[in-house]
Amino acid sequence: MRADPTKYYPLIPVYVAYLAMFLIGSNMTGMWQLMAMLAFYCALGQAFNIFLGMTGYVDFGYVAFLGVGTYGMALGITKLAHVEELGIGIIIIGLALAVVMATLLSLAVGAVALRLRGAYFAIATIGVNEGFRYFIEGAKIWNGSEGMIFTAELNQIFGRETASALSTFWADVLVLIIAAAAAFVTLYYMKSKIGYALTALREDEDAAKVMGIHVTKYKIIAFITSAVFAGLLGASAWALKTPYVFPPEVFEIHYTVEAIIIVLLGGAGTLLGPLVGGLIYGLSKYYLSIVLPGFQLLIFAPIIILIIVFFPEGIVGMLKNRVKGTALEQYVL
Amino acid sequence: MSNRCSIRMIGFVAVFALLFATHASAAPGKIVIGHPACLSGKYAKAGEQAIGGIKACVDWVNKVYGGVTVGGKKLPLEYKYYDCESKKEAVTSLISRLITVDKVDCIFAPYSSGLTLRGAPVAESHKMLYMDHGGANNKIFRQGFQYIVQTIGPASRYHEGTLDMIHKVDPHAKRVALAYEDSEFAKMVMAGAEEHAKKLGFKIVFKRTYPKGVTDLTPLLSALKAAKPDIVIGGGHFEDGQLFNRQMADLDINANALSLIAAATLPAFYKALTGMAEGVMGPSHWEYGVKYAPEEAKKVGLPWIGPSQDEFVNLFKKALGKDIIPDYHAAEAGAAVLALVMGIEKAGSVDSDKVRRALGDLEFMSFYGGWDVDDTGLQVGHSMVDVQWQGGKRVIVWPAEAQTGKLYYPMPTFAEKAKGKLAVPK
Repeated sequence: MRADPTKYYPLIPVYVAYLAMFLIGSNMTGMWQLMAMLAFYCALGQAFNIFLGMTGYVDFGYVAFLGVGTYGMALGITKLAHVEELGIGIIIIGLALAVVMATLLSLAVGAVALRLRGAYFAIATIGVNEGFRYFIEGAKIWNGSEGMIFTAELNQIFGRETASALSTFWADVLVLIIAAAAAFVTLYYMKSKIGYALTALREDEDAAKVMGIHVTKYKIIAFITSAVFAGLLGASAWALKTPYVFPPEVFEIHYTVEAIIIVLLGGAGTLLGPLVGGLIYGLSKYYLSIVLPGFQLLIFAPIIILIIVFFPEGIVGMLKNRVKGTALEQYVL
Repeated sequence: MSNRCSIRMIGFVAVFALLFATHASAAPGKIVIGHPACLSGKYAKAGEQAIGGIKACVDWVNKVYGGVTVGGKKLPLEYKYYDCESKKEAVTSLISRLITVDKVDCIFAPYSSGLTLRGAPVAESHKMLYMDHGGANNKIFRQGFQYIVQTIGPASRYHEGTLDMIHKVDPHAKRVALAYEDSEFAKMVMAGAEEHAKKLGFKIVFKRTYPKGVTDLTPLLSALKAAKPDIVIGGGHFEDGQLFNRQMADLDINANALSLIAAATLPAFYKALTGMAEGVMGPSHWEYGVKYAPEEAKKVGLPWIGPSQDEFVNLFKKALGKDIIPDYHAAEAGAAVLALVMGIEKAGSVDSDKVRRALGDLEFMSFYGGWDVDDTGLQVGHSMVDVQWQGGKRVIVWPAEAQTGKLYYPMPTFAEKAKGKLAVPK
């Protein structure tokens, strides 16, 4: 049976937006770092949405996966900087380490916490990032509380110019690729057995169980997938872009809260939602901080509350209802 | 497409165009400082102080100094800042905007070592001078950045003055105990203190860290007591510094000197501990009351620039519109403005490469104290001041050129303090 190409149509607006971001950033003066920030928020939303949006579970410890991903890249660079032959391979090793570490942590957390539901799950995950941070600091592993700064190692491996380009350009390109890949995986899950199982358990976990769905298995799949993308994001948007890692900064719960806002703003469980949420969130904060420095949060917070009150399904959720029955329906998911 | 749809589409395009419009404001005839300031978020307090300090010194340069002399012309300084919310994502995007859209001539780093490091690669990629006024981590300057220049003293030098002072007043005191919070900043401070203590011939008889958020230091302090130190150096933040002092009193651990970073210089420290804090010291980059003045600069052979301390305080209050005394965050940010002015004048240009080279050769004194950087941009000319609580007042006891009173040494015992003895020199 031939695959139905129309099922990938919802990716078109997502990829068009990411391409537009890349083109605007690389061609308009002073826009690249703004695009990098927007790409980070979109990628964060896309990655988080795979778990929150598809299962309805809120993981308050999500930033821990970004944190371990950052450590993965940092360890790869600092431990292997002396191996000259590796070259760009060191980045690939760093990304692989980020994936492995995020997977292991998500397996450890998921195996315990995913047996819980709703508020119990949320409470159980709150301590994950703080606990992991204190473990690193207390056990003095990976340089403990001192963290690692490795710009010098990047300069040594790639030379000053390339290392600079890596931090200020290629790390951001990688973030865009991660966002695009997370969107693809989201759509793939949505249109496959995994997605149907996750939708069933999101709507009624007990009913899904009775129907023979192995709910824990599917929750773990979504959890690990979401964690892996977070690990990759940490490795690129944090470790490569800012060649340092300090435990209090990479395990800051604030990033989990931002991920929740982005997903709810755009529309949880939608493909386009995290992109829309990330763009609105990033652009509002950026321009308000320029126009009204110091007061932006006073204006931004009510805007977020209003959007969530008036569009409880998120902006894309509302949009989906509007385009139902029109030609646009197949592009908005 | 309906009319309503068309209007919406036009509106959307207009808003989009407005958002992305780049209004390059190249500024001939003025020198612009760009700053991704921490006006909100976790560093908001330090950020507000930094803005006040920068505005105060910009105001002084324009109104009193008459502008910055470049090529025989006097150019005014302009200060442009945005709020980075103390967040790294915003730091890079705002620095990029300041450089490419606002066409600033120099970037002032945000507060903290982490945010300073975040912005450094972007400033470097634009070959833009990057003035660090709030990132104390020495490692920043071992990364090979070429455009960064520090004004805040590096963390490793926080206790140099304390040790120099005790070495001078009591050459027989040899036993030093180091007990710090397990944090990146405090460990850097401890490493510097240990190195300097050994250089001066002190013996480290105790060295241990305690975790952040600690609620009981009794086991650590009991072990410290057994080491019988002459000098105790420790701390990390306000809460643990206060606990440290209180539990030393509870366990009756007496030393000739006790110096606590980040806590002992705050008024709230004495308010919380009252008599127990008598004689306790703390290092600070700058404190209101320092005696740095043109005469002191002359004595040590350094050129002087900038407002007097009182002028600075008045300008600071005017800049923020608040009746508050500036702290060291304001002073070091203000001093960075003065360094920039001297660097530009020495270079005769606003070109970042030329100004960076000129700053490398520059030495001066201002209300903030001495200023000199090494080849990496690390601050080596600024001495910390040491503050001691004497009769409920903060007295600057070191260095000699900044002191407002004499050191009370040795510190009264906790039993004496409990009986009401004050650490006021006769």
